[in-house]
Amino acid sequence: MKLNRAVITGIGCVSPLGRDVPALIDGLTAGRSAARYMAAFEQYTGLRSLIAAPAELVDEKLIPRKDRRSMSRMSIFSVQAAEQALADACLAPADMVPGDIGCVIGSTIGSMNTMAETFDAMLPEYDLNQMTSMQFFQVISHTAVMNVAQYLGITGAVLAPSAACASGLQAVGIAYDLVRLGRQKAVLCGGTEELHPTVTGSFDVLYAASTGYNDNPAKASRPFDRDRDGLVCGDGSGILLVEEYEHAKARNARIYAEIAGFETCGSGEHISQSSRGAMIQCMGRALQQAGLQTDDIDYINAHATSTVHGDKEEAAAIRDIFADTVPVSSMKGNIGHTLGASGAIELIISLVMMKQSAIFPTLNLEHIDPECGAIDHVVETREQPIRNFLKNAFAFGGINTTLICSRSGDGV
Amino acid sequence: MTNEEVVAMTNRVFVESFELDEKDLTPEAHVFEDLGLDSLDTVDLVVALQQKFNVRIRDDERVRSIRTLNDVYEFILTIQREMAASN
Repeated sequence: MKLNRAVITGIGCVSPLGRDVPALIDGLTAGRSAARYMAAFEQYTGLRSLIAAPAELVDEKLIPRKDRRSMSRMSIFSVQAAEQALADACLAPADMVPGDIGCVIGSTIGSMNTMAETFDAMLPEYDLNQMTSMQFFQVISHTAVMNVAQYLGITGAVLAPSAACASGLQAVGIAYDLVRLGRQKAVLCGGTEELHPTVTGSFDVLYAASTGYNDNPAKASRPFDRDRDGLVCGDGSGILLVEEYEHAKARNARIYAEIAGFETCGSGEHISQSSRGAMIQCMGRALQQAGLQTDDIDYINAHATSTVHGDKEEAAAIRDIFADTVPVSSMKGNIGHTLGASGAIELIISLVMMKQSAIFPTLNLEHIDPECGAIDHVVETREQPIRNFLKNAFAFGGINTTLICSRSGDGV
Repeated sequence: MTNEEVVAMTNRVFVESFELDEKDLTPEAHVFEDLGLDSLDTVDLVVALQQKFNVRIRDDERVRSIRTLNDVYEFILTIQREMAASN
């Protein structure tokens, strides 16, 4: 069966470092951390991690009230990112044959803020009289993709993969398959997430959130570093336009990269512990699908979240496949862990790195943990061409995801 | 509660819940045609009025006959008179 080629022709994001891609890249270039102390977290007994990397909600009222009423911040982020991606791609859904453009956006869960408001109003009297018409639409798992598709008039496939921190990259992988199989000509895809103390608390209770840097938030997220003590939750959304190659060529679109391979797999081992074996399988099968060898990969954008166990496992998996021959960095030192959005936001960063032939370093990687060693850590900006890069995203539940992008021969 | 207080509090509901401009809130304004509310908004209008006036009106059939802003004022005043009478 002949498969179509799938390319990326548009990118957009709202991230902890700003309202769009240029703001994000400016922040990374300046080596900024978006992590900050969260005074609002102090009221929660038992919450030890009092830091986060929130995105800022701006200009949300540009979205008309009737469209916005079903959106919590995670959907607003996605709408804004999707509009950026379409503008970047110079494509409007109205220009497409109805049904030819789809939308796939993943997240860990629907709006935790709205869920909390709903239960606050309902309990302790078990009184549903204060429940509004819109709380359901903001809490459901597919709230972001539903809102984006409705707002933009998208009538193709509308899907919402939910696999925690792998959601965003899984969404891009599903978009890739929809385009490869000829089901869609183009797909807006990516991930989104919104902060809430219970999200940070969920990691904190598992000893996976940073607790030792409350007085120095900018230093808290430090992937692969000896002194890391857990992740810093962030929020935002990253959206990309994945387009069928011939469709993109026919309209003379700028092509960032071609998607060369995608793999997602389970570990079948443990619901919370990362597994280097499953990561090796995931990266290895993605390489196979892409028809590439290890020396074809010029950069690895790691999932590395700054947890003690996860970073060690990913470093070991990379070491097993690539030894120390491929530059590796994680963006989470700058933007924290944006969970379901992270795979998409960091894929966007990687595409910009490919375009600029420069690799951003892992912020706060001051002393490489020996258990994360013997791979080529990027600790300062490195100028180098990138022919192909590999992006990882891993999630609780033993879910692993790897996407490989190639610099397209034409149009890049 | 005076008529003026009911009008002012009801108007606050429309401003806060539906982002309407106070100057558009005339008694004869049609809730759907002039103020732009739809069926989903009416669900939230009822919830907001319940909160604002501490009343229970979700299952009150008279809600269905509301057309203008003045109908809302009159409905709330009627509910309040009924509550006062029953107390």
